[in-house]
Amino acid sequence: MKKTLIILGFITAVFAVILVVTPLFKIALFPAIIAVLSGLGVLYLANKTKTSKKVVQYIFLLSIMSLAIMTYKSITDTSEVGNTEALEELEKSSEEDALEELEGIDLDIE
Amino acid sequence: MKHFSFYIISLLCLNIFSQNKTIVAGENLTFTASYNMSGILTDLAEVTMQTSEIKTSKTTLLRLKCKATTYSKWDSFFKIRDLYESYVSPKTLTPFLYKRDINEGGYYKFMQYKFNHKTKTVQSLKKKKKKEGGFWEEKKSLSINSSTKDLVSTLYHIRNLDIDKANIGDNMDFKILFDNVENIINVRYLGKETISTNIGRKECYKLSLSVKNNDVLKGSNANLLWLTADQNKVPVYAKFKIAVGSGELKIKSATGLN
Repeated sequence: MKKTLIILGFITAVFAVILVVTPLFKIALFPAIIAVLSGLGVLYLANKTKTSKKVVQYIFLLSIMSLAIMTYKSITDTSEVGNTEALEELEKSSEEDALEELEGIDLDIE
Repeated sequence: MKHFSFYIISLLCLNIFSQNKTIVAGENLTFTASYNMSGILTDLAEVTMQTSEIKTSKTTLLRLKCKATTYSKWDSFFKIRDLYESYVSPKTLTPFLYKRDINEGGYYKFMQYKFNHKTKTVQSLKKKKKKEGGFWEEKKSLSINSSTKDLVSTLYHIRNLDIDKANIGDNMDFKILFDNVENIINVRYLGKETISTNIGRKECYKLSLSVKNNDVLKGSNANLLWLTADQNKVPVYAKFKIAVGSGELKIKSATGLN
Protein backbone atom coordinates (compact mmCIF):
# COMPACT_ATOMS: atom_id res chain seq x y z
CA MET A 1 0.00 0.00 0.00
CA LYS A 2 2.77 2.43 0.99
CA LYS A 3 4.79 1.58 -2.13
CA THR A 4 1.74 2.11 -4.36
CA LEU A 5 1.09 5.51 -2.79
CA ILE A 6 4.76 6.51 -3.18
CA ILE A 7 4.74 5.56 -6.88
CA LEU A 8 1.41 7.33 -7.48
CA GLY A 9 2.57 10.40 -5.56
CA PHE A 10 5.84 10.65 -7.50
CA ILE A 11 4.28 10.14 -10.92
CA THR A 12 1.52 12.70 -10.34
CA ALA A 13 3.93 15.22 -8.76
CA VAL A 14 6.31 14.99 -11.74
CA PHE A 15 3.34 15.21 -14.13
CA ALA A 16 2.14 18.35 -12.32
CA VAL A 17 5.58 19.94 -12.71
CA ILE A 18 5.62 19.12 -16.45
CA LEU A 19 2.09 20.47 -16.98
CA VAL A 20 2.72 23.67 -15.06
CA VAL A 21 5.39 24.83 -17.52
CA THR A 22 3.02 24.40 -20.50
CA PRO A 23 0.13 26.75 -21.44
CA LEU A 24 -2.16 24.10 -19.91
CA PHE A 25 -0.77 25.03 -16.47
CA LYS A 26 -4.23 25.29 -14.85
CA ILE A 27 -4.80 21.57 -15.38
CA ALA A 28 -1.71 20.87 -13.21
CA LEU A 29 -4.04 21.39 -10.24
CA PHE A 30 -5.48 17.86 -10.61
CA PRO A 31 -2.20 15.85 -10.49
CA ALA A 32 -0.85 18.21 -7.80
CA ILE A 33 -3.86 17.48 -5.55
CA ILE A 34 -3.50 13.72 -6.14
CA ALA A 35 0.21 14.00 -5.29
CA VAL A 36 -0.51 15.87 -2.03
CA LEU A 37 -3.17 13.31 -1.03
CA SER A 38 -0.80 10.43 -1.83
CA GLY A 39 1.90 12.17 0.21
CA LEU A 40 -0.45 12.50 3.17
CA GLY A 41 -1.31 8.81 2.80
CA VAL A 42 2.39 7.85 2.81
CA LEU A 43 2.98 10.10 5.83
CA TYR A 44 0.15 8.43 7.76
CA LEU A 45 1.42 4.92 6.93
CA ALA A 46 5.02 5.91 7.79
CA ASN A 47 3.88 7.23 11.18
CA LYS A 48 1.92 4.06 11.80
CA THR A 49 4.78 1.70 10.92
CA LYS A 50 7.47 4.11 12.23
CA THR A 51 9.48 3.99 8.98
CA SER A 52 11.34 6.67 7.00
CA LYS A 53 9.38 9.75 5.88
CA LYS A 54 12.09 11.16 3.62
CA VAL A 55 10.36 10.21 0.37
CA VAL A 56 7.25 12.21 1.38
CA GLN A 57 9.33 15.39 1.43
CA TYR A 58 10.15 15.02 -2.27
CA ILE A 59 6.49 14.45 -3.19
CA PHE A 60 5.44 17.50 -1.19
CA LEU A 61 8.29 19.59 -2.57
CA LEU A 62 7.36 18.85 -6.20
CA SER A 63 3.62 19.34 -5.69
CA ILE A 64 4.04 22.58 -3.68
CA MET A 65 6.42 23.84 -6.37
CA SER A 66 3.88 23.14 -9.12
CA LEU A 67 1.02 24.68 -7.10
CA ALA A 68 3.10 27.82 -6.44
CA ILE A 69 4.05 28.23 -10.13
CA MET A 70 0.42 27.59 -11.12
CA THR A 71 -0.85 30.28 -8.73
CA TYR A 72 1.78 32.76 -9.92
CA LYS A 73 0.99 32.08 -13.59
CA SER A 74 -2.78 32.31 -12.97
CA ILE A 75 -2.31 35.82 -11.53
CA THR A 76 0.20 37.15 -14.03
CA ASP A 77 -0.99 35.33 -17.19
CA THR A 78 -2.48 37.56 -19.89
CA SER A 79 -4.04 36.29 -23.08
CA GLU A 80 -2.52 38.21 -25.97
CA VAL A 81 -2.58 37.47 -29.64
CA GLY A 82 0.87 36.83 -31.13
CA ASN A 83 2.25 37.97 -34.47
CA THR A 84 -0.58 38.36 -36.98
CA GLU A 85 1.30 40.22 -39.72
CA ALA A 86 1.10 37.29 -42.13
CA LEU A 87 -2.64 36.93 -41.48
CA GLU A 88 -3.21 40.66 -42.08
CA GLU A 89 -1.33 40.44 -45.38
CA LEU A 90 -3.38 37.39 -46.29
CA GLU A 91 -6.60 39.35 -45.57
CA LYS A 92 -5.53 42.12 -47.96
CA SER A 93 -4.42 39.80 -50.76
CA SER A 94 -7.53 37.67 -50.29
CA GLU A 95 -9.76 40.72 -50.75
CA GLU A 96 -7.90 41.70 -53.92
CA ASP A 97 -8.22 38.14 -55.27
CA ALA A 98 -11.90 38.07 -54.31
CA LEU A 99 -12.56 41.26 -56.28
CA GLU A 100 -11.11 39.60 -59.38
CA GLU A 101 -13.09 36.41 -58.77
CA LEU A 102 -16.34 38.34 -58.20
CA GLU A 103 -16.02 40.02 -61.61
CA GLY A 104 -16.48 36.61 -63.19
CA ILE A 105 -19.49 35.61 -61.05
CA ASP A 106 -23.14 36.23 -61.91
CA LEU A 107 -24.25 38.48 -59.04
CA ASP A 108 -27.72 39.03 -60.41
CA ILE A 109 -30.10 37.08 -58.17
CA GLU A 110 -32.42 39.76 -56.79
CA MET B 1 -57.89 33.37 -58.25
CA LYS B 2 -58.03 32.64 -54.52
CA HIS B 3 -55.03 30.28 -54.84
CA PHE B 4 -53.18 32.75 -57.05
CA SER B 5 -53.48 35.60 -54.51
CA PHE B 6 -52.41 33.18 -51.74
CA TYR B 7 -49.21 32.34 -53.66
CA ILE B 8 -48.49 36.02 -54.33
CA ILE B 9 -48.90 36.89 -50.64
CA SER B 10 -46.78 33.89 -49.61
CA LEU B 11 -44.01 34.89 -52.01
CA LEU B 12 -44.12 38.48 -50.78
CA CYS B 13 -43.94 37.29 -47.17
CA LEU B 14 -41.01 34.99 -47.95
CA ASN B 15 -39.24 37.86 -49.65
CA ILE B 16 -39.80 40.14 -46.65
CA PHE B 17 -38.57 37.48 -44.22
CA SER B 18 -35.39 36.85 -46.20
CA GLN B 19 -34.41 40.53 -46.21
CA ASN B 20 -31.41 41.51 -44.12
CA LYS B 21 -32.50 43.74 -41.25
CA THR B 22 -29.72 42.89 -38.79
CA ILE B 23 -26.27 42.84 -40.35
CA VAL B 24 -24.58 46.12 -41.27
CA ALA B 25 -21.13 46.93 -42.61
CA GLY B 26 -18.55 48.00 -40.03
CA GLU B 27 -19.52 45.50 -37.35
CA ASN B 28 -16.64 44.12 -35.30
CA LEU B 29 -17.19 41.36 -32.76
CA THR B 30 -14.31 39.87 -30.77
CA PHE B 31 -14.54 36.62 -28.83
CA THR B 32 -12.34 34.50 -26.59
CA ALA B 33 -12.37 30.78 -27.31
CA SER B 34 -11.66 28.60 -24.29
CA TYR B 35 -11.26 24.91 -23.63
CA ASN B 36 -13.08 23.53 -20.62
CA MET B 37 -11.67 20.63 -18.64
CA SER B 38 -13.57 19.67 -15.48
CA GLY B 39 -14.60 23.29 -14.96
CA ILE B 40 -11.11 24.74 -15.47
CA LEU B 41 -11.13 27.09 -18.45
CA THR B 42 -8.02 27.64 -20.54
CA ASP B 43 -8.06 30.48 -23.07
CA LEU B 44 -6.99 29.21 -26.46
CA ALA B 45 -7.67 31.73 -29.17
CA GLU B 46 -9.21 35.00 -30.20
CA VAL B 47 -12.01 34.85 -32.73
CA THR B 48 -13.19 37.93 -34.62
CA MET B 49 -16.22 38.44 -36.82
CA GLN B 50 -16.09 41.53 -39.03
CA THR B 51 -18.28 42.95 -41.75
CA SER B 52 -17.31 45.46 -44.42
CA GLU B 53 -18.55 46.74 -47.75
CA ILE B 54 -16.83 45.72 -50.94
CA LYS B 55 -17.46 47.37 -54.29
CA THR B 56 -17.23 45.46 -57.54
CA SER B 57 -17.78 47.01 -60.99
CA LYS B 58 -21.40 45.74 -60.95
CA THR B 59 -22.61 46.07 -57.36
CA THR B 60 -21.75 46.52 -53.69
CA LEU B 61 -21.43 43.40 -51.58
CA LEU B 62 -20.98 42.66 -47.90
CA ARG B 63 -17.77 40.95 -46.86
CA LEU B 64 -18.27 38.70 -43.84
CA LYS B 65 -14.94 37.81 -42.31
CA CYS B 66 -14.15 35.44 -39.46
CA LYS B 67 -10.65 35.04 -38.06
CA ALA B 68 -9.23 32.68 -35.47
CA THR B 69 -5.82 33.37 -33.92
CA THR B 70 -4.26 31.42 -31.08
CA TYR B 71 -2.89 33.37 -28.13
CA SER B 72 0.90 33.85 -28.17
CA LYS B 73 1.44 31.30 -25.37
CA TRP B 74 0.02 28.60 -27.69
CA ASP B 75 1.86 29.66 -30.85
CA SER B 76 4.93 27.50 -30.17
CA PHE B 77 2.73 24.45 -29.43
CA PHE B 78 -0.10 24.70 -31.95
CA LYS B 79 -0.32 27.88 -33.99
CA ILE B 80 -3.66 28.66 -35.61
CA ARG B 81 -4.17 31.40 -38.19
CA ASP B 82 -7.55 30.81 -39.84
CA LEU B 83 -9.40 33.11 -42.19
CA TYR B 84 -12.98 32.46 -43.32
CA GLU B 85 -14.67 34.89 -45.71
CA SER B 86 -18.01 35.10 -47.43
CA TYR B 87 -19.00 37.72 -49.97
CA VAL B 88 -22.77 38.12 -49.78
CA SER B 89 -25.61 40.26 -51.01
CA PRO B 90 -26.21 43.02 -48.42
CA LYS B 91 -29.97 42.73 -48.98
CA THR B 92 -30.50 38.97 -48.64
CA LEU B 93 -27.17 37.63 -47.29
CA THR B 94 -27.03 35.24 -50.26
CA PRO B 95 -23.41 34.10 -50.73
CA PHE B 96 -21.56 34.50 -54.02
CA LEU B 97 -18.02 33.69 -53.01
CA TYR B 98 -16.67 31.80 -50.02
CA LYS B 99 -13.04 31.43 -49.05
CA ARG B 100 -11.50 29.40 -46.28
CA ASP B 101 -7.80 29.68 -45.63
CA ILE B 102 -6.71 27.63 -42.65
CA ASN B 103 -3.28 27.21 -41.13
CA GLU B 104 -3.45 24.98 -38.06
CA GLY B 105 -0.27 23.63 -36.47
CA GLY B 106 1.48 23.43 -39.85
CA TYR B 107 -1.53 21.98 -41.67
CA TYR B 108 -2.64 24.22 -44.54
CA LYS B 109 -5.87 24.07 -46.52
CA PHE B 110 -7.63 26.48 -48.86
CA MET B 111 -11.22 26.09 -50.03
CA GLN B 112 -13.08 28.38 -52.39
CA TYR B 113 -16.69 28.18 -53.53
CA LYS B 114 -18.11 30.27 -56.35
CA PHE B 115 -21.90 30.13 -56.14
CA ASN B 116 -24.13 30.26 -59.20
CA HIS B 117 -27.68 30.53 -57.87
CA LYS B 118 -29.30 30.42 -61.32
CA THR B 119 -27.84 27.02 -62.22
CA LYS B 120 -27.71 25.88 -58.56
CA THR B 121 -24.07 24.92 -58.87
CA VAL B 122 -20.87 25.69 -57.03
CA GLN B 123 -17.38 25.80 -58.53
CA SER B 124 -15.15 24.47 -55.81
CA LEU B 125 -11.40 24.83 -55.53
CA LYS B 126 -9.37 22.96 -52.93
CA LYS B 127 -5.69 23.60 -52.31
CA LYS B 128 -3.35 21.76 -49.98
CA LYS B 129 0.38 21.95 -49.37
CA LYS B 130 2.52 19.18 -50.78
CA LYS B 131 5.17 17.62 -48.55
CA GLU B 132 7.85 18.24 -51.18
CA GLY B 133 6.73 21.89 -51.60
CA GLY B 134 4.21 23.60 -53.82
CA PHE B 135 0.45 23.10 -53.84
CA TRP B 136 -1.93 20.34 -54.79
CA GLU B 137 -5.17 21.55 -56.40
CA GLU B 138 -8.59 20.02 -56.95
CA LYS B 139 -11.37 21.68 -58.94
CA LYS B 140 -14.94 20.41 -58.82
CA SER B 141 -18.40 21.45 -59.94
CA LEU B 142 -21.06 20.64 -57.36
CA SER B 143 -24.84 20.69 -57.57
CA ILE B 144 -26.46 22.35 -54.59
CA ASN B 145 -29.89 22.99 -53.19
CA SER B 146 -31.42 26.43 -53.73
CA SER B 147 -31.07 27.24 -50.00
CA THR B 148 -27.52 25.94 -49.55
CA LYS B 149 -25.10 28.45 -48.10
CA ASP B 150 -21.57 28.45 -46.75
CA LEU B 151 -20.66 28.28 -43.07
CA VAL B 152 -20.00 31.99 -42.53
CA SER B 153 -23.11 33.31 -44.27
CA THR B 154 -25.21 30.73 -42.37
CA LEU B 155 -23.93 32.09 -39.05
CA TYR B 156 -25.01 35.57 -40.09
CA HIS B 157 -28.25 34.22 -41.54
CA ILE B 158 -29.16 32.70 -38.14
CA ARG B 159 -28.74 36.18 -36.63
CA ASN B 160 -31.12 37.55 -39.24
CA LEU B 161 -33.95 35.18 -38.31
CA ASP B 162 -37.15 36.59 -36.79
CA ILE B 163 -36.58 34.79 -33.49
CA ASP B 164 -38.98 37.14 -31.68
CA LYS B 165 -41.81 35.52 -33.66
CA ALA B 166 -40.70 31.96 -32.83
CA ASN B 167 -42.22 29.75 -30.15
CA ILE B 168 -40.18 27.65 -27.75
CA GLY B 169 -39.29 24.37 -29.46
CA ASP B 170 -39.50 25.76 -33.00
CA ASN B 171 -36.67 24.56 -35.18
CA MET B 172 -35.25 25.17 -38.62
CA ASP B 173 -32.83 23.33 -40.90
CA PHE B 174 -29.96 25.03 -42.73
CA LYS B 175 -28.00 23.44 -45.55
CA ILE B 176 -24.30 24.18 -45.37
CA LEU B 177 -21.65 23.30 -47.90
CA PHE B 178 -18.51 22.32 -46.00
CA ASP B 179 -15.56 20.41 -47.46
CA ASN B 180 -17.59 19.87 -50.66
CA VAL B 181 -20.33 18.07 -48.71
CA GLU B 182 -23.79 19.43 -47.96
CA ASN B 183 -24.50 19.22 -44.23
CA ILE B 184 -27.77 19.97 -42.48
CA ILE B 185 -27.63 22.05 -39.32
CA ASN B 186 -30.70 22.14 -37.13
CA VAL B 187 -31.33 25.24 -35.03
CA ARG B 188 -33.86 24.98 -32.21
CA TYR B 189 -35.20 27.89 -30.17
CA LEU B 190 -35.06 27.07 -26.45
CA GLY B 191 -36.40 30.33 -25.01
CA LYS B 192 -35.12 33.53 -23.45
CA GLU B 193 -32.42 33.74 -20.79
CA THR B 194 -30.61 36.68 -19.15
CA ILE B 195 -26.85 36.21 -18.88
CA SER B 196 -23.84 38.30 -17.79
CA THR B 197 -21.36 39.08 -20.53
CA ASN B 198 -18.36 41.37 -21.05
CA ILE B 199 -20.67 43.83 -22.80
CA GLY B 200 -23.15 43.88 -19.92
CA ARG B 201 -26.07 41.84 -18.63
CA LYS B 202 -28.15 40.86 -21.64
CA GLU B 203 -31.47 39.22 -22.28
CA CYS B 204 -30.75 36.56 -24.89
CA TYR B 205 -32.38 34.09 -27.22
CA LYS B 206 -31.07 30.63 -26.39
CA LEU B 207 -30.60 28.37 -29.42
CA SER B 208 -29.50 24.77 -29.69
CA LEU B 209 -27.44 23.64 -32.71
CA SER B 210 -26.96 20.14 -34.03
CA VAL B 211 -25.54 18.65 -37.22
CA LYS B 212 -27.65 15.93 -38.79
CA ASN B 213 -25.92 12.64 -39.70
CA ASN B 214 -22.59 13.97 -38.49
CA ASP B 215 -20.89 13.64 -35.11
CA VAL B 216 -18.75 16.82 -35.23
CA LEU B 217 -20.83 18.38 -32.49
CA LYS B 218 -21.63 15.88 -29.74
CA GLY B 219 -24.63 15.51 -27.48
CA SER B 220 -28.21 16.75 -27.68
CA ASN B 221 -28.76 20.31 -26.48
CA ALA B 222 -25.04 20.43 -25.65
CA ASN B 223 -24.19 22.95 -28.35
CA LEU B 224 -25.81 26.19 -27.41
CA LEU B 225 -25.75 29.72 -28.72
CA TRP B 226 -27.00 32.85 -26.98
CA LEU B 227 -27.99 35.81 -29.19
CA THR B 228 -28.95 39.14 -27.63
CA ALA B 229 -32.71 39.63 -27.74
CA ASP B 230 -32.46 42.98 -29.52
CA GLN B 231 -32.25 44.28 -33.06
CA ASN B 232 -28.57 43.24 -33.48
CA LYS B 233 -28.90 39.66 -32.21
CA VAL B 234 -25.22 39.63 -31.25
CA PRO B 235 -23.83 36.19 -30.45
CA VAL B 236 -22.54 36.76 -26.91
CA TYR B 237 -21.92 33.25 -25.68
CA ALA B 238 -21.63 29.78 -27.18
CA LYS B 239 -21.04 26.40 -25.62
CA PHE B 240 -20.08 23.37 -27.68
CA LYS B 241 -19.22 19.78 -26.97
CA ILE B 242 -16.60 18.14 -29.14
CA ALA B 243 -14.98 14.68 -29.19
CA VAL B 244 -12.48 15.61 -26.46
CA GLY B 245 -14.01 17.87 -23.81
CA SER B 246 -16.00 21.00 -24.41
CA GLY B 247 -15.40 24.57 -25.42
CA GLU B 248 -16.78 28.03 -24.89
CA LEU B 249 -16.88 31.21 -26.92
CA LYS B 250 -17.37 34.42 -24.93
CA ILE B 251 -17.75 37.90 -26.33
CA LYS B 252 -14.95 40.35 -25.50
CA SER B 253 -16.11 43.43 -27.37
CA ALA B 254 -18.72 44.50 -29.89
CA THR B 255 -18.48 47.67 -31.99
CA GLY B 256 -20.12 49.15 -35.08
CA LEU B 257 -23.54 47.68 -34.34
CA ASN B 258 -26.79 48.85 -35.90
